[in-house]
Amino acid sequence: MPQMSIAEALRQAIREEMARDATVFCLGEDIGVPGGFGGAFTVTLGLSDEFGHERILDTPISELGLTGIAVGAAMAGLRPIADVQYGDFLFLAMDQLANQAAKMTYMSGGTVKVPLVMRAPVGATARGSQHAQSLEAFFCHVPGLKVLAPSTAYDAKGLLKAAVRDDNPVIIFEHKLLYGSKGPRTEKGALSPIGEVPDEDYVVPIGQGIVRRAGRDVTIVGKLLTVYRALEAAAILAEEGVEAEVIDPRTLVPLDKRLILESVRKTGRLVIVEEDNLTGGWASDVAAIVAEEAFWWLDAPVKRVSAPDVPPPFAPPMEQLYVPSAQRVVAAVRSLL
Amino acid sequence: MPTDVIVPPLGQTVDTLTFVSWYKQEGEAVRAGEPLFVVETDKATLDVEAPAGGVLRQVTARPGDEVAVLSVIAVIAGKAEGELEEFGGAHGSSEELRGNQDVSGAGEGPAQASGVQPSSPPRLLASPRARRLADRAGVPLQDVSPTGPEGAIVERDVRAYLGARGAEGEPAEPAITPVARRMAEEAGLDWHRLRGSGPAGRIVRGDVDRALTGTAPPAPATAAPGLAPADLLDTIPLRSVRAVIAQRMLQSHRETAPVTLTAEADAGRLVALRQDLRSRDLDVSYNDLLLAILARCLQEHPRLNASLVDDQIHLWRRVDIGLAVDTERGLLVPVVRDVAAQGLRQLARQTRLLAERARSGQLTPDELQGGTFTLTNLGMYGIDAFTPLVNLPETAILGVGRIKEQAVWVRDHVEGRPTVWLSLTFDHRLVDGGPAARFLQAVVRYVEEPHLLLA
Amino acid sequence: MPVNQLDPDTVLSLYRQMLLIRRFEERCNQLYLQGRIPSTLHLYIGQEAVAVGVCAALGREDYVTTTHRPHGHAIAKGVAPRAIMAELFAKRTGCCKGKGGSMHVGDIDVGVFPAIAIVGAGIPIAAGAALAAKRLGNGRVAVSFFGEGAANEGAFHEALNMAAIWDLPVVFVCENNLYAASTPVSTAFKIADVAERAAAYGLPGEVVDGNDVLAVYEAADRAVQRARAGQGPTLLECKTYRQVGHSRSDPRTYRSRDEEDEWAQRDPIQRLASRLLDEEVIAPEGLDEIERQIMAQVDEAVAFAEGSPYPQPEEALEDVFWRQQ
Repeated sequence: MPQMSIAEALRQAIREEMARDATVFCLGEDIGVPGGFGGAFTVTLGLSDEFGHERILDTPISELGLTGIAVGAAMAGLRPIADVQYGDFLFLAMDQLANQAAKMTYMSGGTVKVPLVMRAPVGATARGSQHAQSLEAFFCHVPGLKVLAPSTAYDAKGLLKAAVRDDNPVIIFEHKLLYGSKGPRTEKGALSPIGEVPDEDYVVPIGQGIVRRAGRDVTIVGKLLTVYRALEAAAILAEEGVEAEVIDPRTLVPLDKRLILESVRKTGRLVIVEEDNLTGGWASDVAAIVAEEAFWWLDAPVKRVSAPDVPPPFAPPMEQLYVPSAQRVVAAVRSLL
Repeated sequence: MPTDVIVPPLGQTVDTLTFVSWYKQEGEAVRAGEPLFVVETDKATLDVEAPAGGVLRQVTARPGDEVAVLSVIAVIAGKAEGELEEFGGAHGSSEELRGNQDVSGAGEGPAQASGVQPSSPPRLLASPRARRLADRAGVPLQDVSPTGPEGAIVERDVRAYLGARGAEGEPAEPAITPVARRMAEEAGLDWHRLRGSGPAGRIVRGDVDRALTGTAPPAPATAAPGLAPADLLDTIPLRSVRAVIAQRMLQSHRETAPVTLTAEADAGRLVALRQDLRSRDLDVSYNDLLLAILARCLQEHPRLNASLVDDQIHLWRRVDIGLAVDTERGLLVPVVRDVAAQGLRQLARQTRLLAERARSGQLTPDELQGGTFTLTNLGMYGIDAFTPLVNLPETAILGVGRIKEQAVWVRDHVEGRPTVWLSLTFDHRLVDGGPAARFLQAVVRYVEEPHLLLA
Repeated sequence: MPVNQLDPDTVLSLYRQMLLIRRFEERCNQLYLQGRIPSTLHLYIGQEAVAVGVCAALGREDYVTTTHRPHGHAIAKGVAPRAIMAELFAKRTGCCKGKGGSMHVGDIDVGVFPAIAIVGAGIPIAAGAALAAKRLGNGRVAVSFFGEGAANEGAFHEALNMAAIWDLPVVFVCENNLYAASTPVSTAFKIADVAERAAAYGLPGEVVDGNDVLAVYEAADRAVQRARAGQGPTLLECKTYRQVGHSRSDPRTYRSRDEEDEWAQRDPIQRLASRLLDEEVIAPEGLDEIERQIMAQVDEAVAFAEGSPYPQPEEALEDVFWRQQ
C-alpha cells in the first residue's frame, strides 16, 4: 500500500473526485498557475496539467468574491472545492460562509442545496499572528456548516472525498505542520506524518471519531496537531503506569459525542488539548458536553489545555509557550490523578 | 461556588417547616454530611445534613422561624480553588486568581473580616463517580481516606475502603449515619454493638433512640439473625415510595380503629350495563362504574365522606376519590376530583390517564393528596374479600373483590349469577357500625340496580 | 423603442406583470398596516419596470439573485404570488415553508435563489451560478439585481472583476433608486453613474431609463444575448425611484416631496398605460379588465395565505442540512 503525506493524500483525493465527477472543480489563489506552487502547501501541484485551468481555477486575491462564486456555482449544479491560503483569511469570506452557504438550505425551506467544500490551512508556524490561527471554533458555532479536521493521511483522503460527496457546505481544516509539503514549501519543525493510504476509492464517514490509543486511566481528546501531542504525552505517562486513551474526533461538527462519552465513562477523567485560544473555544464545548452527559462518571474535573488568550506570537520561544506541548498535557493529566 | 443550604421537602403535605436551631454558627467550618440544622414538621423533629463542605455564611433562618420548603436559608462558601496549572484565560489570569485566594482555605477574602476563624479546613470533596459507588455500596464517605486531586475522595478510595473490609457490601465495622453517630457519642453509647435497621444494615437515629430509651428495636428489615449475608436474595432500600407507604400504613394501623364490613352484591345488571356501554364504544371499567356509585352514596351518606382534622370531623361537600394503582415502585393512590360532577366517559378517561401516569412515575404530589374516600380493587387478582386499611385522614375505604359466577337462590330456584364481594373498612373513631352498614347497603343496592342512579 | 415594434401580446404581458407587482405590493402594505403580516416589508413600488423588463429577457431556467427588496423580482421571474404571500404570512405553504420571510423569498424551480438580505452578497453568487452554467454548457444566464448601495460593497468589485476575466454569462443589474436606505447617492459616489465602474473591470456598462419597461427590456435582451453568446458580463444601471420608504418604518424625511412628485409623473406603469392607449394597442375597458384580473389574482394569493396552516414549532429544527429528496 502506498505511503503518503497528508498533502499527497489530499491531492489524490481531489484527483480521484475530479475524475469521478465532472462537476467537481477547484478554485483558489495560486492553485493551478503553471510552474507555480500548487496552492500554498502544494496540495494542488500538478492537477492543472491533468484537468486544465477551468477546473483548477486560479482566482485573483478575492476571498470574499471567490467564496461567493463557489456558493453560486454550488447552487447551480457544480461541486466546488474552494480554498484559502491561510485559515486566517477565512474572515474575509465570513459572510459568504456563515450568512449565505450555511443558511441557504434552511432559509429556502430545504429546497436549495450548497454542496461546497472550503479547505483552510491552520496552525502556528513562525509566520506571525495573521498567518497562524486555529479558527475551527468560529465555524463549529455556525449551524449549517460541517467542520472536519483530519490529522492523518488516511483520514485526509477519506474525509476530503466524503466532503466533496456531501451535499452540504463543509469546511476542512488542515494543519500546516502536518502536510508533509516538500521542496520550497517544506515547513520547519513539521511533523509530516506519513501513512498508508489505499489506492482505491474509500471515504471516512463524516461524524465518526477514532480511538488512536486505548487506555483506562484518562481520556485525552485532541485535534489536528494536538492529537500527536496527546500521543506523545500518552507515551510519557505510560512509563509512569498511567494508560491514557487518546481520541481523535476527526469531525468537529457533527461531533462523535458517543465515542468521547463512552471513553469518559470508562476512564472517569478527561483532558482536552487544542491549539486554539482558551476562551470560547472548542475544548470548552467538549468539556460542557461531558459535564452534562457524563457527570456522574467523572472522578476528577475536566481539564482544557489550550493556547492562552493572546494572538499567536512570532518568536519561536513564545510560540512554544503558545502551542500546547506534550509536557503540558502530561502535567494536566497528573493533576487529575 | 457557594452551595445553597435549602430547606428540604419533608412529608407529603408540608409547605413550611418550623426552624428549630443551627448546629453551626455563621462563619464556622462545616463538613459535608454532618448535621447542620434542625427543623420541625407537624409530625416530627428532624436533623438536616450539610449539602457540602465549606464555611457557613449568609445565615437567615432563626430559631422559631417558619421557613418555606425549598427556600435558601444559608450558603456554604466553597474553599479556595486549588492551584491552577493552566492559563486563566480571558476571564482572569491564574495570577489574579491566586492573588485572591486565601491559602488557609477559609473561603473568600471578605470573610476574614468577620473575625471568625474556621476550626479546621473543610474536607469532604468526593468525585461524582466516587459518590455513586459509595451510595450503591452503602459506604459512609467520611470514613473514606481521600487520595484524589485537591484532597478529594475518588473512586479508588471507595474501592479501597470496600476491599479492606472483606466482601463488597459487607462492612466489618457497621455503618452508621452521621446523625446517629453524633447522638450515640454524645450519650456515651457504644454504637458498635447496635444492630442497624437502616439501609444496608446502617445504624440510624431510630436505633440509637431505642437503645437509649430501652425500647426494643423493630423487627430487622434486612437479614434475620442467624442468616449469613450469602443467603440474602436482594436488598430493597426503604426509600421514596416504599418509605412513604411504610409510614402511612403503620400510621393507619396504629391510629385508626378499623372495622371491616363485608357484603355480597349481585353484579348481573352491572355486568350487563358495562357490556352494553362497551358495545357502544364507551370503554368504562368496573372501577369507573363504582366511582360513580360511590359518589352518589357518599353524597347520601356524608358521614363516610369525612376526614379527621385535628379534633374535628370535617364532612366534605365534594367527593374526591382516590383510586389505588399497583405500580412497580409500589402502591400509589391518585385522586379523581369531584367524581359526582363527572359523567362516565369523563371518569373513564381520567382513570385511564391517572393509572398510566402512576405507572410511568409522572404523578405530581398534588394528585396524590386530598381525597375524601378511597377505592381499591383486587378483583383482577381473584381476591374475594379483604381488610383494606383506611387511607388517613379519610374515614373509610371500599375494597372490591372479583366478580364470579355463583349459584344463587332467586326466589324459588338456583341460578348462576355473577356476584361481587364488597369490603368496607371504616374508622370507628369517626363513624359507627350502623351508619357504615347503611352506607354499604346503599352501595350494594346501586351495584345491583345501577339504573337507580338516574333516580 | 416604439411599442409597435414589439408584438402586442408581449407588451401587454409586460404591463400585466408590472401591474401585478404594483397591486401585490400595495396589498402587502395594507395587510402590514392591518397587522396581519408579522415582519417588516421592503416594497418595490415604483421600480417595477426594471424587474419586469429584465426578466422578460430571461428564460425559466436562467438564474436570478435578488435582495432584501425581492418581491418584484420574484414575481417577474415566475414565483407564484400565493407562495410569496403565504411566506409573508409565515405559513407552511410559503415558498420557504415559513423559514425565510419577506427578505428570503425565492423558488429554485423558476431559477430564483432565495433572496439575500446582506447587501452585495448576491453579486458573486450570481457570478458563481454563471460560472456553473458556462462549465456545464447549458446555455443559462445569471442576473444579479442589486441597488446602487451594493456597488460600494467589496463583493461587487470582486465579482465584477472575476466575471470579466472569465467571461461569465452574467448580467449585473444595478437599480439606482437614488437612495441607499436614507443615504443619497450623491454622498456615496464621486462618479455620476455606477455604470462607469464597469470600465474599471473591463466589461461594458450602460445607463438605462429604469422607468421605461421597454427600454429596460431592450437593453437587458442585448446583455443576455451577449452573455449567452459567450461574450461575457454586462453592467446595466437602471435609473429609477423607490416611491415608498426603505422599509415600513421609514417616514422618508430625507427626501423632498417635490422630488417624489416629480418621479411620480414618470411612474412606469402609468407611462406604459398611456402609450398603450395612445397607440391603440388596448382600449380603456381592456385596461380595466386587466385591473380586475390582477386584483383577483392578488385576492387569491391572500386567501390562499390566510387559509394555509402555520408551521409546527418543531419544524424550526429541520432543514439545517440537505435531505435527499
